[in-house]
Amino acid sequence: MTTQQTPAPSDAQRTAPPGPRHHGRRVLMKGNEAMAEAAIRAGCDAYFGYPITPQAELLEWMARRMPEEGRPFVQAESELGAINMALGAAATGARVLVSSSSPGISLMAEAMSYMAASEVPVVLINVMRGGPGLGSIGPSQSDYFQATKGHGHGDYRVPVLAPSSISEAMALTADAFELAERYRTPVMILTDGILGQAMEPVELTFREPPRVPAEWALTGAAGRPPRVVRSLHLKPEDLEAHNRHLQAKFAAIADREVRHDGESLDDADLVIVAYGTAARVARTAIARAREAGLRAGLFRPITLWPFPSDALRDLAGRVRGLLVVELSAGQMVEDVRLAVEGRVPVAFTGRTGGMVPAPREVVAALRHLWATTAEQPRETTR
Amino acid sequence: MSVAIPEGARVVFGRPELLVDRTSSYCPGCGHGVVHRLIAEVLGDLGLGPRTIAVAPVGCAVFAYDYLGLDFVEAPHGRAPAVATGIRRVRPDAFVLTYQGDGDLAAIGTGEIVHAAARGELLTAVFVNNGIFGMTGGQMAPTTLLGQRTTSTPRGREATFHGYPIPMTEMLAVLPGVAYAARGSVADAASIGRTKQYLRRACEVQLEGRGFAIVEVISNCPVGWGMTPLESIERLKEVVALEYRPGVIVDRTREPAVSGAPGGAIPADGTATAAAER
Amino acid sequence: MIVVAESALDDLSLGGAADSAGAGRAASAPFQPVLIDVDRCKGCALCVAACPKGILALDESRVNVQGYHPVRITNPDACTSDAHCARVCPDCVFTILARPRPPR
Repeated sequence: MTTQQTPAPSDAQRTAPPGPRHHGRRVLMKGNEAMAEAAIRAGCDAYFGYPITPQAELLEWMARRMPEEGRPFVQAESELGAINMALGAAATGARVLVSSSSPGISLMAEAMSYMAASEVPVVLINVMRGGPGLGSIGPSQSDYFQATKGHGHGDYRVPVLAPSSISEAMALTADAFELAERYRTPVMILTDGILGQAMEPVELTFREPPRVPAEWALTGAAGRPPRVVRSLHLKPEDLEAHNRHLQAKFAAIADREVRHDGESLDDADLVIVAYGTAARVARTAIARAREAGLRAGLFRPITLWPFPSDALRDLAGRVRGLLVVELSAGQMVEDVRLAVEGRVPVAFTGRTGGMVPAPREVVAALRHLWATTAEQPRETTR
Repeated sequence: MSVAIPEGARVVFGRPELLVDRTSSYCPGCGHGVVHRLIAEVLGDLGLGPRTIAVAPVGCAVFAYDYLGLDFVEAPHGRAPAVATGIRRVRPDAFVLTYQGDGDLAAIGTGEIVHAAARGELLTAVFVNNGIFGMTGGQMAPTTLLGQRTTSTPRGREATFHGYPIPMTEMLAVLPGVAYAARGSVADAASIGRTKQYLRRACEVQLEGRGFAIVEVISNCPVGWGMTPLESIERLKEVVALEYRPGVIVDRTREPAVSGAPGGAIPADGTATAAAER
Repeated sequence: MIVVAESALDDLSLGGAADSAGAGRAASAPFQPVLIDVDRCKGCALCVAACPKGILALDESRVNVQGYHPVRITNPDACTSDAHCARVCPDCVFTILARPRPPR
């Protein structure tokens, strides 16, 4: 099938995606493949990866599509190889994507630190699986700490975007390239095995962010002084100055790029804080809770870093309790507690190992939270 | 520079233009200085300065970017061949060079160099082998010789505890993707002259799209070996060169191209096919 | 560390150590086949061993800005500009000039 033909919807996953004249058409797509195609349409110049479940389809889609577009695809010898290839390619100003899953992401920690320090923009997709260690191939959210707390060594932050639907994942892929280049930073898209493997109807609408001129990029020192992309600054004064520069950048990102979403918050007594797949479970739980008379709402962080602390703190003054739901032993819950500064009780429910919290478990946790919290005096009037 | 060249004089030998005019931080007598100069000479002779994107290692030569007037990226320890692969794939017109020591290439970086070579990446890899971890104070390296004392083999390297030195370039030369592999030495002017020829050939191999090229240069580390510079040169000639023998190890550019043979250029679609026929 | 001014040592060095004062005298001075960037030298002495004529030596009467004894040429007339010294030098200390051909 060529890009000029019209694929039947059920074949969309197996064929080349429709060309521009089908822009906006809805088709069924697997998450991994949708993110891959979104990256290609966003102008991804090169892809480097390594097979690991549950994101192998992303690599395979790239293996087929990138050569069609005349762009480099490399299946590297390891995730270590892949992320370092990405570092090199991005150092020349190319728009680069790498994808992996939890154990492979661990291997990329070193390069993430180098990329953040050298200010090299790369987009990295983590399709989280059960851990720790080799774990399982089921979905999880247990890489939150890894993603948001630096991942590699040294003082740095990486913007982390967390979609909760395949459509959103496609849009955030384009946004991620834009963020990466605007701020000269690696950016991580944090998804999970369900999002990667599921198929959902998506609109084939793509965005290619405009290119930011990269006056730092390595292109060969023709007619200009040589440039060096580096992270070594041996003199403490120099490294401190560099760290101040990086911190100023992270402060700017934190100031401008926070994203979150909310549902049914206006009259909520209890609010679930959840991202990604957990937010979708929460949505069902909230509907059931409301049917039973419990007014619950959803606060959904979309940027996990910068964390929407301000919005959460404001919300905390208006509700009786927060319930954090994660596919982990509890990682984002710590940031929620930090954000609300003790204003409101924060409870947690979650599953690990590739298990997904069921809506009834979440509803039970909401009931428990209701039962164990008192009517809170409102800090602001409705 | 504080030398003035008299008007009309014929310069037989001078500092090459791509070698930055500053005092290096390398120890007195260290072979890195010679190898840097040879690279500057060869790239200058081939007019590659403006096109080169080079990759610096972790090790004493991390500072290569201070001494060579080229665009450079600093790679994490051992990862230079992977970083170079990324550059090569997105910049088909660039000339891509890696510079690594023996710790960088043969210890932590064994995976990356093997696979870059296996893919037949159009890279020129410079491998400076002084049989020791210099930057970190003189510990054993994979190419440290049996019996050699280092700070982590204070009683001398023993096969039982520390294994055998690794002949990396001979191992890589087995791979069809390696179009050219040679070993030079900085022991004396004649060796240095031959090393320059190997480096030049390794650069030409990339320009001709023949495949991966590597030049190992056995070098000295006076401070790490606990010797004067002159003593270290003697050891290089009389001990090291017997184990790591200089010469061309493989040159597949002189063989006829047959099915499965190496040296294919990377096709425009970007896929890695080291065995593609020309 | 002893820092010795270049010009003060002109009387001590037998030739081959060029400096800005030396350049001014170049026209009337004997031909110097080997120009030495004194402050770049690290006193490693690899050149001393490499010179086939044996006409290089470390000048132990002086130290350069780095604190090393720099090399000096002891007999410039015997130099054939073979540049062995320059080739083994890790620090590009040497610039080698060809001896002018004698007029016919």
